[in-house]
Amino acid sequence: MARSASAPPEDPALRDRFEREVLPILPNLYGAALRFTRNPQDAEDLVQETYLRAFRGFAGFQEGTNLRAWMYRILTNTFINIYRKKQREPVTVQDDDIEDWYLYDRLGSSTVEASAESEVLEKLPDEDVQRALEALPEGFRMAVLLADVEGFSYKEIAEIMDIPIGTVMSRLHRGRKALQKALWETVRERGLVTD
Amino acid sequence: MSPTDCDHVLRQIELYLDGELVGVQRVEIERHLGGCDPCTGHADFQRKLKEMLRAKCGCNDVPPELLQRVRSMLQTPHTHP
Repeated sequence: MARSASAPPEDPALRDRFEREVLPILPNLYGAALRFTRNPQDAEDLVQETYLRAFRGFAGFQEGTNLRAWMYRILTNTFINIYRKKQREPVTVQDDDIEDWYLYDRLGSSTVEASAESEVLEKLPDEDVQRALEALPEGFRMAVLLADVEGFSYKEIAEIMDIPIGTVMSRLHRGRKALQKALWETVRERGLVTD
Repeated sequence: MSPTDCDHVLRQIELYLDGELVGVQRVEIERHLGGCDPCTGHADFQRKLKEMLRAKCGCNDVPPELLQRVRSMLQTPHTHP
């Protein structure tokens, strides 16, 4: 991880590298920021602040560090420090009544138009799926997003979120269960299945 | 295929699909999936769920003005907004 430098890199080569390697992941960071903040204006501000902080800290960036994970760590910290204060939400998921394979079992036992269970999910509009993910409490939403949308390893997620790997695993498992329940409710509301 | 094997495999599916199992643990799961249709059905569904999330939650267009703001910030790094 980089030390927190307060000045932007003066070295033109470093600035070129930042632009070349860090700018291309802006679409991913913006998508994550949208899921974090659930608000396009806050997401834009969060991404801009993330780039500013990253640019200022880039001189201290250690070679060999995963640059993408480093950017997500800054994004996550910036979100927690600035935007979370505005939001009030539950800190954990209510998943006691959600069994493993919740969605698979229900899709399998309902009358589904399509032949395969997963095809029903494909029919859901992007916005519905995004809303279901955004409805998860913050710590669970971040873990699921970092693993499933961004493809980070448990170790990387632990570093990005600054939590133990065991907590990453627990949040993923419980967050995914809660997400499956939300998706099930959505496919029913959309009339994509009949009981 | 004994139910115990299936229970064990289903408990490991998340780790397996997340790429967190290596070596003999990974081989064990793959060998089981190769001969067990129900577990393969579960694994395929979970994999497609991950793919669906990635496709539907990682596809927002970046507002052009945001890209512009970040670009100009890189060119004039001394000004904090």
